[in-house]
Amino acid sequence: MVGTVRAARHRGRALAGGAFTLGLALGAAALFGSLGALGAALRPGHVVVLAAVALAGAAALADLAGLRVRPQVPFQVPERWRRTMPLARALFLYGLLLGAGVTTFVPAAAVWALLPLCVALGSVPLGIAVGLGFALGRALPVLALSDETALAERPQGLRVLRVLAAASLALALVAGTARAAAPVAAPASDPGAAGTDLVWQEPGVGGILLRAGVQTHLPGSDPAIGDSFIAWHTGDAVTVAASDTLQPVLQVTIHGVEKLAVSEKWLAYRAAGPSGSEHIGALALSDPSSTIAVTSSWRRGRLGRPSLTGDVVVYHLALPGKSRLFAFDLATRRRTLLRSSRRALLLSPARIGGTLLYVRLGRCSQQLRLGPLDGNGAGRVLYRLPPLAGQDLGHEHGHTEQGSHVPCPARPKPTKRSLWTTALSETSAYITVLHPSGGGHTTPSLLAIPVPK
Amino acid sequence: MLSEAVAEATSRRGFLARAGRLLLAVSGGGIVAGALAAQKAEAYHFCGHIFTTGSCPHPTGLPRVDRNGFPLRAADGHPVDDLGRPIDRHGRPVDAQGHVLLDPDGNPLPPGPRTRVCEAAARAHHFRAHIDGSWYRCCGGHVRRLIDCCGYVKNRINGDAALTGYCYRGRHVFCVMYYDSKVKC
Repeated sequence: MVGTVRAARHRGRALAGGAFTLGLALGAAALFGSLGALGAALRPGHVVVLAAVALAGAAALADLAGLRVRPQVPFQVPERWRRTMPLARALFLYGLLLGAGVTTFVPAAAVWALLPLCVALGSVPLGIAVGLGFALGRALPVLALSDETALAERPQGLRVLRVLAAASLALALVAGTARAAAPVAAPASDPGAAGTDLVWQEPGVGGILLRAGVQTHLPGSDPAIGDSFIAWHTGDAVTVAASDTLQPVLQVTIHGVEKLAVSEKWLAYRAAGPSGSEHIGALALSDPSSTIAVTSSWRRGRLGRPSLTGDVVVYHLALPGKSRLFAFDLATRRRTLLRSSRRALLLSPARIGGTLLYVRLGRCSQQLRLGPLDGNGAGRVLYRLPPLAGQDLGHEHGHTEQGSHVPCPARPKPTKRSLWTTALSETSAYITVLHPSGGGHTTPSLLAIPVPK
Repeated sequence: MLSEAVAEATSRRGFLARAGRLLLAVSGGGIVAGALAAQKAEAYHFCGHIFTTGSCPHPTGLPRVDRNGFPLRAADGHPVDDLGRPIDRHGRPVDAQGHVLLDPDGNPLPPGPRTRVCEAAARAHHFRAHIDGSWYRCCGGHVRRLIDCCGYVKNRINGDAALTGYCYRGRHVFCVMYYDSKVKC
């Protein structure tokens, strides 16, 4: 193969090298993209993802140790093509075959590991990205090496290739894990996002604006940002300012205001009412004198923080019998139930267009989920924590296991950390994680998770 | 309740249970009967359960419930929500010391759903829940009420044919749970 490409290059037909690379890219993108699509359709569970990661780790170790690659494919590219076709076409077809990864001799165990990893990714774009990386890895040695025997006849050459493959796989795993959740700030809670700007509340300090890598202390608490405005409050005095200059454009008094959300036309808020109740309201920035009741009053702790995009406020209502996410259109005064659960706790929705981000606290895991606003179609889990409670054996000591049931068959180790408030931008999801700090109090930290395209 | 215990100590037949209840109510011997019922219980996967029907799905495993059928943690009888978290009487999650968990603003964290264990089983397996009869055993020094979660079902949670147990009017036992009383035995 190396010789064929080299021969093509020497004859001044650089197009042949390009054809080979193009074939590789197409073959790899088709295979790995299809695996990503399969994963998106099957939505593999936690166990499958862990199994894929474990397999990748084992493959990396096998390559590092130089173990035989098993299973092996005993096929080579058809030599006849080289003689019967124009060289560019033959190399393109060779590229297609080699790009598929496992249609010919498999040089490294890492290749096998990539297949389930792409299914576990469950994303066509990510699968194609993996495929293109794979194609690049396969093309470079062939295009760069001047001696065909470097890989084919000398064990050191193949050994180096396998070590590089193992290192790449290990790096990808580490990078993937690290990229899954990057710390933004601590202590920090209640994020808000607009474009690349991010705001949050630092307990005991006030609102923080993060813009272009620079943190700015805002002159108030519980900041919100949306479209071209930013808002904060000091006591009951609420300020809405231009996002770029931070110059106030509106100041209103809202009794008992606790949380804010702002968009181009509206300011939404959660405020404390009499006798420990809370409610969500809103007002038009153009007419702040008249308010809209988004919800009725509920006992403290039941209503979530409002999130506002365009005319629509989204919020959660958690009751002991049922947990629900709502959208309220301020223009039409129409309320829509987005999600409902009698078994899980649904919290802290945030929305962009037809996409909804929210927290789902279930019996066996805590999840930050991203899905269609209307609830139809597959969503995906962006971040996951273990459940908040442990479980017993399902049977009493000294008794048989027959008939016993446990809620989580995998027996996950519980955590005291809890997922809390969210924010969503085009590129990132943000989540507050609460850490218990004694006496029922919690300390928040803020994480950012990339949003897949 | 205790009068049932005597009648049900030797038989699981609903008819006998009801007949025994009637007789003991007439004689007014409920407390004495409860004491008589305090015998050592034979069991399958938890004390007092004398047949093979499996536990109802429960947030923490063993299907311990309160007198209203809501889930309790078996180890200590603490109320839990459907997420398995210990909660206070308002349904708010609490920490191991019983403090209400608070968000960074000092508001209590929202309550999770809390469902009667039999109703949760019925919802998950698509039948209407009924609590018909019960039987009693002495477990851990206290009278334990063993409760059948009944429905118009053909199969029980084990997957095989459901039994009549203490279910009436053609209903069958789907799964079982228990309530630990404070009555010593």
